[in-house]
Amino acid sequence: MATNPMEQFQVRKIGPEIEISGINLSFTNSSLFMVISAVLILILLLFGTREKKLIPGKIQLISEMLYNFISKMISDTAGQKAKPFFPFIFSLFVFILFCNMVGMLPYSFTVTSHIIVTLTFALFIFIGVTILGFVMHGFKYLKIFVPSGVPIVLLPIISIIEIISYLSRPISLSVRLFANMMAGHTMLKVFGGFVISLGLIGGWLPLSFSVALTGLEILVAFLQAYVFAILTCIYLNDALNLHH
Amino acid sequence: MKKLFAIITFLLFLEKNLYSAEAGMPQLDPEYWPSQVFWLIIIFLTIYILISKIFIPKIKGSIDMREDKIRKDLEEAKTFKEQAELKLNEYNSLMETAKIDVKKIISKSRQKLNEDMQIKRDEAQKNIDKEILNAETEIKKFKKDSFNKIKSISEDITSNLVKDIFGEDLNKSSVEASVQQTIKEYQKGK
Repeated sequence: MATNPMEQFQVRKIGPEIEISGINLSFTNSSLFMVISAVLILILLLFGTREKKLIPGKIQLISEMLYNFISKMISDTAGQKAKPFFPFIFSLFVFILFCNMVGMLPYSFTVTSHIIVTLTFALFIFIGVTILGFVMHGFKYLKIFVPSGVPIVLLPIISIIEIISYLSRPISLSVRLFANMMAGHTMLKVFGGFVISLGLIGGWLPLSFSVALTGLEILVAFLQAYVFAILTCIYLNDALNLHH
Repeated sequence: MKKLFAIITFLLFLEKNLYSAEAGMPQLDPEYWPSQVFWLIIIFLTIYILISKIFIPKIKGSIDMREDKIRKDLEEAKTFKEQAELKLNEYNSLMETAKIDVKKIISKSRQKLNEDMQIKRDEAQKNIDKEILNAETEIKKFKKDSFNKIKSISEDITSNLVKDIFGEDLNKSSVEASVQQTIKEYQKGK
């Protein structure tokens, strides 16, 4: 039996249909896996912070490592001014990481493989960073489009390129994560399908590929969460410390 | 990325041919977009609030506690070290003064001992000298006495001999003179 490799991305309604002012807001399998990821995060943090030990246990160590990792990432890329955004970056990184990792389980649903989810994050970050930039620097924030040390002649072209690159940030940010997750999972499914269709004799090669790809995908799952978080930090840095 | 996309499209094409199923992207179907955004906002907001209000302060608290403890321990160790160094210095200075004192005491006692010995030696020397003097005077006296005694004894013996041999007394003074002479000759011959 072989199925469509894109079928895993199908969103299905679970439970009753919820409609508010004509918009379908039903609970779906996507929502379910968001909840599962969130619950896993909360369980990890709950057990990680249950007792304050001087010498941490395993789970406490994990949560503290996570904290230090993100704290270092923020201070390295965005500096001290970005400290108030630490909880947001922390939640963002952890949520995307857990959604990606939960998606690696067979028969599960990958929340981040949907463009609408990643686009929501990316647009929120984009709009938030832009507002923050204008609040912090007023109209001087537009300097971000005028890099210093560029010849006057080239300035209009450079500015246009800068504006385009700035406006394409949400698209690049969302598509990067979405495409990586979708591509990885599709490939896994395709190779899985090959294992079945080639049977006991020829199925070993795609199976070994599948195993290797699983390892790669776990790496990608972590890496994409990291990239998403670090790019958010870099955008924050642009808005907070205007030195382009 | 481009390579990945090429592989994906190729594989999708392959799959479509293999299984002749419809290969659309469910991600682009807007039916459940509002639902996904809605639930994402609710769930992410929930974990954001929980993380920022509860878990981050807790983790920060435990990390701060550990750092505090380490810093305190280090400070304590530093003060202990300083105290130990102070004590060591005190000990060293005490040892130094004690050594000096000991040297002083040793030299003093040696000097005293030497003086004592000198005094005792002098006293002993004096006593010995005295004894020697006494002994010498006694010997001299004894010598003198013994000489006179020998003289009188020899005179007696001579007069007795003469009397025994010749049967008559000799003049005492002539006996004395001859003994005197013999003694002189004897002393000369010696």
